[in-house]
Amino acid sequence: MALLNFAQRQHLPIWDDPRESIYHDVVIDTQACDGCKLCVVVCPGNALELVGEKGAKKSRVKDGQRGCISCNNCQAICSHHAIEARQYYDFAGYYKQMGLGEFSPPRRF
Amino acid sequence: MARSNALEAEDLEQLEQNSGSASAIRETPPGADWNPIEEAFLRRRSVRKYKTRQVPAHLIRRMLEIGRFAPSQGNSQAWKFVVVRDKKLIERMEQYCVDEFKKMSPALDYTLYPQGSLRRWFTRLKARLLNRLDHNMLHPVPMTVLTSIAEGRFAVFHKAPTVILLLVDRRGVGCPEIDIGIVGTNIVMAAQSLGLGTCWIGFSKFLNKNKEMAAQFGAEWPYEISEAITVGYPIGDPAQNHISRQTHEIAWWEDGQKEVFY
Ligand SMILES: Cc1cc2nc3c(=O)[nH]c(=O)nc-3n(C[C@H](O)[C@H](O)[C@H](O)COP(=O)(O)O)c2cc1C
Ligand code: SF4
Ligand code: SF4
Repeated sequence: MALLNFAQRQHLPIWDDPRESIYHDVVIDTQACDGCKLCVVVCPGNALELVGEKGAKKSRVKDGQRGCISCNNCQAICSHHAIEARQYYDFAGYYKQMGLGEFSPPRRF
Repeated sequence: MARSNALEAEDLEQLEQNSGSASAIRETPPGADWNPIEEAFLRRRSVRKYKTRQVPAHLIRRMLEIGRFAPSQGNSQAWKFVVVRDKKLIERMEQYCVDEFKKMSPALDYTLYPQGSLRRWFTRLKARLLNRLDHNMLHPVPMTVLTSIAEGRFAVFHKAPTVILLLVDRRGVGCPEIDIGIVGTNIVMAAQSLGLGTCWIGFSKFLNKNKEMAAQFGAEWPYEISEAITVGYPIGDPAQNHISRQTHEIAWWEDGQKEVFY
């Protein structure tokens, strides 16, 4: 059996249709976030923004963003462990991701 | 009869016995802590926001020196480095790419046009057809970034104080692009050990299309700009935490059996 069938091999995903393109599952712990903005600044997908009252700003995933590449640069830089992407992006059909397991931090063997 | 160079079984036995100290085997028990080299790889991140402070020249030289000792197919070392630290020149490189992307984005990114419009339908058809000619460059990810750059929400060279262009010598042995990946990894890891941040810039390939600039950088046959690496002092600590990443299927064949791990 082919890994991708004929129809899938012809299909180019529609990038802004949530049924075809899953971009991220970025979770923010607003309790822990202190609004330092570092994640917003380093995010290559331009997917984050800072919202809220002055002095109580929190990071948030932008509405309708389609740029998150699950790089977790946000997680790497946050000194409050307040943000993390928990899912890889996936495009239906041709670019469908295959052979992927769970999201995981480094595991020692 | 010509003597074979191959190790005979008895030679091997002798060597194994004699070479105890020369090939000091490092024992790592299961579940051991990460060693410093592993830790460096785990904490390497692409850094795209830099302080304005220039990187001292000797550090760049050090990084390139580590690059020089990278493995390459047939030891052909099919690369050439071009270091750009001239602010004006980096700005011109950036501007050229942005101008290109401003032309490409509306021609290819159909999501820019209203749902159901003729323009959207037509652009999408065009993008689909072209995608079949170049699956990689027209992947949805760079496509999205292309528009971000055209609209000024993302940069090509990230305003880095130093840009290293990695030119590939297309006469290299086998697949010289792989050697570029390896030499670049050497450079990136050396930079990290010096407290610097780096980012690979695949979009730098577009500079090849600018004949004048390509000539200026010596990107003429047999050389071609393959990748670039931006270098600078990071803003924030991009190595604060370990991160999560997806796991991949690992097929493991042993004793006539296949197992699958992730
Ligand atoms: C060959 C190559 C080319 C890349 N090109 C770009 C680029 O043009 N722009 C950019 O911002 N990042 C670029 N990246 C960085 C990737 O986006 C990044 O490595 C990936 O998201 C994983 O994140 P990490 O490097 O922080 O672990 C490139 C990476 C590689 C290996
Ligand atoms: S880096 Fe962490 S603390 Fe700072 S704004 Fe982002 S989520 Fe909040
Ligand atoms: S995972 Fe990367 S692209 Fe996604 S929100 Fe975090 S920093 Fe941005």
